[in-house]
Amino acid sequence: MSGAVPTTIIVAGLALAGYALLMTALNRRVGFALLAAIGVLEVLLLVLIGLVVVQLVDGGRPASLPTLIGYLIAMPFVPLVAGLWGAMERSRWGPAVYAVAGLVAAVLMVRLHEIWPVIRV
Amino acid sequence: MSEPAAAAEPAAAPPDSTRTGPGRLLVAVYGLFALSASARAAVQIATKFSHAPVAYLLSAFAAVVYIIATVTLTAGSPTARRIAVVSCSVEFAGVLAVGTWSLVDRAIFPDATVWSGYGSGYGFVPLVLPVFGLLWLRYWSRRDRTGRTAESAAPADTETTSAGTPPAPA
Repeated sequence: MSGAVPTTIIVAGLALAGYALLMTALNRRVGFALLAAIGVLEVLLLVLIGLVVVQLVDGGRPASLPTLIGYLIAMPFVPLVAGLWGAMERSRWGPAVYAVAGLVAAVLMVRLHEIWPVIRV
Repeated sequence: MSEPAAAAEPAAAPPDSTRTGPGRLLVAVYGLFALSASARAAVQIATKFSHAPVAYLLSAFAAVVYIIATVTLTAGSPTARRIAVVSCSVEFAGVLAVGTWSLVDRAIFPDATVWSGYGSGYGFVPLVLPVFGLLWLRYWSRRDRTGRTAESAAPADTETTSAGTPPAPA
Protein backbone atom coordinates (compact mmCIF):
# COMPACT_ATOMS: atom_id res chain seq x y z
CA MET A 1 0.00 0.00 0.00
CA SER A 2 1.36 3.37 -1.02
CA GLY A 3 2.09 5.86 1.72
CA ALA A 4 0.82 8.77 -0.36
CA VAL A 5 -2.62 9.11 1.23
CA PRO A 6 -1.52 8.84 4.91
CA THR A 7 1.31 11.29 4.24
CA THR A 8 -1.11 13.69 2.57
CA ILE A 9 -3.42 13.40 5.59
CA ILE A 10 -0.56 14.24 7.97
CA VAL A 11 0.39 17.30 5.92
CA ALA A 12 -3.25 18.39 5.50
CA GLY A 13 -4.01 17.84 9.19
CA LEU A 14 -1.01 19.84 10.37
CA ALA A 15 -1.75 22.60 7.83
CA LEU A 16 -5.35 22.75 9.05
CA ALA A 17 -4.17 22.88 12.67
CA GLY A 18 -1.70 25.68 11.92
CA TYR A 19 -4.22 27.77 9.99
CA ALA A 20 -6.93 27.18 12.60
CA LEU A 21 -4.63 28.24 15.44
CA LEU A 22 -3.78 31.38 13.46
CA MET A 23 -7.51 32.13 13.21
CA THR A 24 -7.84 31.60 16.96
CA ALA A 25 -4.94 33.96 17.59
CA LEU A 26 -6.54 36.55 15.28
CA ASN A 27 -9.85 36.21 17.15
CA ARG A 28 -11.77 34.94 14.11
CA ARG A 29 -14.71 32.59 13.90
CA VAL A 30 -14.91 29.52 11.69
CA GLY A 31 -15.14 30.75 8.10
CA PHE A 32 -15.36 29.30 4.61
CA ALA A 33 -11.68 28.34 4.39
CA LEU A 34 -11.78 26.25 7.57
CA LEU A 35 -15.05 24.56 6.56
CA ALA A 36 -13.53 23.68 3.18
CA ALA A 37 -10.30 22.44 4.77
CA ILE A 38 -12.03 20.14 7.23
CA GLY A 39 -14.20 18.84 4.37
CA VAL A 40 -11.06 17.96 2.42
CA LEU A 41 -9.69 16.19 5.49
CA GLU A 42 -12.90 14.15 5.77
CA VAL A 43 -12.67 13.07 2.13
CA LEU A 44 -9.01 12.07 2.53
CA LEU A 45 -9.84 9.95 5.59
CA LEU A 46 -12.68 8.22 3.70
CA VAL A 47 -10.28 7.45 0.83
CA LEU A 48 -7.79 5.98 3.31
CA ILE A 49 -10.49 3.84 4.93
CA GLY A 50 -11.35 2.50 1.48
CA LEU A 51 -7.70 1.63 0.82
CA VAL A 52 -7.35 -0.16 4.19
CA VAL A 53 -10.58 -2.11 3.62
CA VAL A 54 -9.15 -3.26 0.26
CA GLN A 55 -6.08 -4.56 2.12
CA LEU A 56 -8.34 -6.47 4.53
CA VAL A 57 -10.42 -7.93 1.68
CA ASP A 58 -7.20 -9.04 0.01
CA GLY A 59 -6.54 -11.17 3.10
CA GLY A 60 -4.09 -8.99 5.04
CA ARG A 61 -4.49 -9.00 8.83
CA PRO A 62 -3.00 -6.68 11.49
CA ALA A 63 -1.85 -8.01 14.88
CA SER A 64 -5.04 -6.71 16.50
CA LEU A 65 -7.96 -6.66 14.10
CA PRO A 66 -10.49 -5.23 16.66
CA THR A 67 -8.20 -2.25 17.28
CA LEU A 68 -7.89 -1.52 13.56
CA ILE A 69 -11.63 -1.81 13.01
CA GLY A 70 -12.22 0.53 15.98
CA TYR A 71 -9.96 3.11 14.35
CA LEU A 72 -11.62 2.70 10.97
CA ILE A 73 -15.06 3.25 12.51
CA ALA A 74 -14.05 6.21 14.71
CA MET A 75 -11.81 8.02 12.20
CA PRO A 76 -14.43 9.55 9.86
CA PHE A 77 -16.27 11.05 12.84
CA VAL A 78 -13.32 13.24 13.84
CA PRO A 79 -13.60 15.93 11.11
CA LEU A 80 -17.38 15.51 10.96
CA VAL A 81 -18.13 16.05 14.65
CA ALA A 82 -15.36 18.63 15.14
CA GLY A 83 -16.56 20.48 12.03
CA LEU A 84 -20.12 20.78 13.32
CA TRP A 85 -19.11 21.48 16.92
CA GLY A 86 -16.64 24.20 15.93
CA ALA A 87 -18.99 25.81 13.41
CA MET A 88 -21.62 26.21 16.16
CA GLU A 89 -19.21 28.39 18.13
CA ARG A 90 -19.35 32.14 17.55
CA SER A 91 -15.93 32.93 18.94
CA ARG A 92 -12.25 32.18 18.38
CA TRP A 93 -12.73 28.82 20.11
CA GLY A 94 -14.46 27.36 17.05
CA PRO A 95 -11.21 27.36 15.02
CA ALA A 96 -9.45 25.92 18.11
CA VAL A 97 -11.70 22.83 17.83
CA TYR A 98 -10.67 22.54 14.14
CA ALA A 99 -7.02 22.67 15.20
CA VAL A 100 -7.58 19.69 17.50
CA ALA A 101 -9.22 17.75 14.64
CA GLY A 102 -6.24 18.44 12.37
CA LEU A 103 -3.72 17.32 14.99
CA VAL A 104 -5.75 14.20 15.80
CA ALA A 105 -5.88 13.24 12.11
CA ALA A 106 -2.07 13.47 11.91
CA VAL A 107 -1.60 11.45 15.11
CA LEU A 108 -4.08 8.83 13.87
CA MET A 109 -1.83 8.15 10.85
CA VAL A 110 1.11 7.39 13.13
CA ARG A 111 -1.07 5.15 15.32
CA LEU A 112 -2.46 3.32 12.26
CA HIS A 113 1.09 2.60 11.13
CA GLU A 114 1.88 1.17 14.59
CA ILE A 115 -1.26 -0.99 14.53
CA TRP A 116 -0.61 -2.26 11.01
CA PRO A 117 2.78 -1.41 9.43
CA VAL A 118 1.30 -2.14 5.99
CA ILE A 119 -0.24 1.32 6.32
CA ARG A 120 2.92 3.25 5.53
CA VAL A 121 3.37 6.89 6.34
CA MET B 1 -27.52 32.97 16.36
CA SER B 2 -29.38 36.29 16.48
CA GLU B 3 -26.76 38.53 14.99
CA PRO B 4 -25.48 38.15 11.44
CA ALA B 5 -22.28 36.18 11.94
CA ALA B 6 -19.81 37.16 9.28
CA ALA B 7 -16.92 34.82 9.81
CA ALA B 8 -14.24 37.49 9.67
CA GLU B 9 -15.80 39.60 12.42
CA PRO B 10 -14.22 39.27 15.82
CA ALA B 11 -16.66 37.82 18.30
CA ALA B 12 -16.89 39.71 21.56
CA ALA B 13 -19.85 38.04 23.29
CA PRO B 14 -18.90 36.34 26.55
CA PRO B 15 -19.58 32.61 26.75
CA ASP B 16 -23.20 31.93 27.72
CA SER B 17 -22.73 28.35 28.97
CA THR B 18 -20.02 25.87 29.96
CA ARG B 19 -20.06 24.47 26.41
CA THR B 20 -19.39 27.77 24.62
CA GLY B 21 -16.31 29.94 24.46
CA PRO B 22 -13.26 28.10 25.84
CA GLY B 23 -15.71 25.40 26.91
CA ARG B 24 -16.21 24.55 23.23
CA LEU B 25 -12.60 23.39 23.03
CA LEU B 26 -12.72 21.74 26.45
CA VAL B 27 -15.80 19.66 25.59
CA ALA B 28 -14.23 18.68 22.24
CA VAL B 29 -11.07 17.37 23.93
CA TYR B 30 -13.04 15.63 26.69
CA GLY B 31 -15.24 14.01 24.04
CA LEU B 32 -12.16 12.84 22.17
CA PHE B 33 -10.75 11.22 25.30
CA ALA B 34 -14.14 9.74 26.22
CA LEU B 35 -14.24 8.08 22.81
CA SER B 36 -10.65 6.87 22.72
CA ALA B 37 -10.54 5.66 26.34
CA SER B 38 -13.85 3.80 25.94
CA ALA B 39 -12.76 2.14 22.71
CA ARG B 40 -9.40 1.21 24.17
CA ALA B 41 -10.92 -0.26 27.34
CA ALA B 42 -13.55 -2.17 25.35
CA VAL B 43 -10.96 -3.79 23.08
CA GLN B 44 -8.61 -4.57 25.99
CA ILE B 45 -11.27 -6.11 28.22
CA ALA B 46 -12.95 -8.04 25.40
CA THR B 47 -9.81 -9.52 23.87
CA LYS B 48 -7.14 -9.97 26.58
CA PHE B 49 -8.52 -9.13 30.01
CA SER B 50 -6.36 -11.66 31.93
CA HIS B 51 -3.18 -10.14 30.47
CA ALA B 52 -3.35 -7.03 32.68
CA PRO B 53 -6.67 -6.82 34.58
CA VAL B 54 -5.66 -3.89 36.80
CA ALA B 55 -4.54 -1.75 33.86
CA TYR B 56 -7.64 -2.57 31.84
CA LEU B 57 -10.05 -1.87 34.69
CA LEU B 58 -8.32 1.49 35.21
CA SER B 59 -8.72 2.18 31.48
CA ALA B 60 -12.44 1.52 31.85
CA PHE B 61 -12.62 3.75 34.95
CA ALA B 62 -10.86 6.56 33.08
CA ALA B 63 -13.32 6.16 30.23
CA VAL B 64 -16.27 6.57 32.61
CA VAL B 65 -14.72 9.69 34.14
CA TYR B 66 -14.18 11.24 30.69
CA ILE B 67 -17.75 10.45 29.64
CA ILE B 68 -19.15 12.07 32.82
CA ALA B 69 -17.02 15.19 32.28
CA THR B 70 -18.07 15.47 28.62
CA VAL B 71 -21.77 15.12 29.42
CA THR B 72 -21.81 17.44 32.44
CA LEU B 73 -19.73 20.18 30.76
CA THR B 74 -22.07 20.02 27.76
CA ALA B 75 -25.18 20.21 29.97
CA GLY B 76 -23.83 23.08 32.10
CA SER B 77 -26.67 23.30 34.64
CA PRO B 78 -25.68 24.08 38.26
CA THR B 79 -26.14 20.40 39.19
CA ALA B 80 -24.16 19.24 36.17
CA ARG B 81 -21.37 21.64 37.10
CA ARG B 82 -21.21 20.27 40.63
CA ILE B 83 -20.90 16.74 39.24
CA ALA B 84 -18.25 17.99 36.82
CA VAL B 85 -16.18 19.45 39.68
CA VAL B 86 -16.20 16.04 41.38
CA SER B 87 -15.36 14.13 38.21
CA CYS B 88 -12.55 16.52 37.20
CA SER B 89 -11.09 16.25 40.72
CA VAL B 90 -11.29 12.44 40.59
CA GLU B 91 -9.71 12.60 37.14
CA PHE B 92 -6.81 14.75 38.36
CA ALA B 93 -6.24 12.49 41.39
CA GLY B 94 -6.45 9.46 39.08
CA VAL B 95 -3.83 10.79 36.67
CA LEU B 96 -1.45 11.56 39.54
CA ALA B 97 -2.06 8.24 41.33
CA VAL B 98 -1.97 5.97 38.28
CA GLY B 99 0.92 7.94 36.80
CA THR B 100 3.01 7.44 39.93
CA TRP B 101 1.86 3.85 40.40
CA SER B 102 2.77 2.97 36.78
CA LEU B 103 6.30 4.27 37.28
CA VAL B 104 6.83 2.53 40.64
CA ASP B 105 5.31 -0.86 39.84
CA ARG B 106 5.80 -1.59 36.15
CA ALA B 107 4.87 -5.26 36.57
CA ILE B 108 1.22 -4.48 37.19
CA PHE B 109 1.08 -2.34 34.03
CA PRO B 110 2.47 -4.55 31.26
CA ASP B 111 0.12 -2.65 28.96
CA ALA B 112 -0.44 1.09 29.13
CA THR B 113 -3.57 2.90 30.29
CA VAL B 114 -4.55 6.43 29.34
CA TRP B 115 -3.11 7.65 32.65
CA SER B 116 0.18 5.66 32.65
CA GLY B 117 3.25 7.88 33.04
CA TYR B 118 0.94 10.86 33.74
CA GLY B 119 -0.55 10.51 30.26
CA SER B 120 2.80 10.56 28.48
CA GLY B 121 1.38 8.38 25.69
CA TYR B 122 -1.11 11.14 24.94
CA GLY B 123 1.20 14.13 25.02
CA PHE B 124 0.45 14.70 28.76
CA VAL B 125 -2.96 16.05 27.76
CA PRO B 126 -4.61 13.83 30.43
CA LEU B 127 -2.54 15.66 33.05
CA VAL B 128 -3.48 19.22 32.04
CA LEU B 129 -7.06 18.53 30.97
CA PRO B 130 -8.56 18.28 34.50
CA VAL B 131 -6.69 21.45 35.52
CA PHE B 132 -8.28 23.43 32.70
CA GLY B 133 -11.61 21.76 33.45
CA LEU B 134 -11.49 22.87 37.10
CA LEU B 135 -10.36 26.41 36.16
CA TRP B 136 -13.28 26.67 33.75
CA LEU B 137 -15.73 25.43 36.39
CA ARG B 138 -14.30 27.90 38.92
CA TYR B 139 -14.89 30.73 36.43
CA TRP B 140 -18.55 29.72 36.28
CA SER B 141 -18.97 29.34 40.00
CA ARG B 142 -17.52 32.83 40.54
CA ARG B 143 -19.69 34.28 37.82
CA ASP B 144 -22.73 32.81 39.56
CA ARG B 145 -21.72 34.17 42.93
CA THR B 146 -21.40 37.69 41.55
CA GLY B 147 -25.09 37.70 40.72
CA ARG B 148 -25.51 36.46 37.20
CA THR B 149 -26.96 33.10 36.31
CA ALA B 150 -25.71 31.34 33.23
CA GLU B 151 -29.22 30.82 31.92
CA SER B 152 -30.19 34.50 31.98
CA ALA B 153 -26.99 35.84 30.44
CA ALA B 154 -27.97 36.97 26.95
CA PRO B 155 -25.14 37.06 24.42
CA ALA B 156 -26.08 40.59 23.37
CA ASP B 157 -25.52 41.96 26.88
CA THR B 158 -22.62 44.19 27.68
CA GLU B 159 -19.49 42.76 29.24
CA THR B 160 -20.27 40.83 32.37
CA THR B 161 -19.18 42.60 35.48
CA SER B 162 -17.92 39.36 36.96
CA ALA B 163 -15.13 38.85 34.43
CA GLY B 164 -12.81 41.41 35.91
CA THR B 165 -13.80 41.48 39.55
CA PRO B 166 -11.46 40.14 42.21
CA PRO B 167 -12.28 36.68 43.54
CA ALA B 168 -15.08 36.58 46.08
CA PRO B 169 -14.13 35.26 49.49
CA ALA B 170 -14.82 31.56 49.72
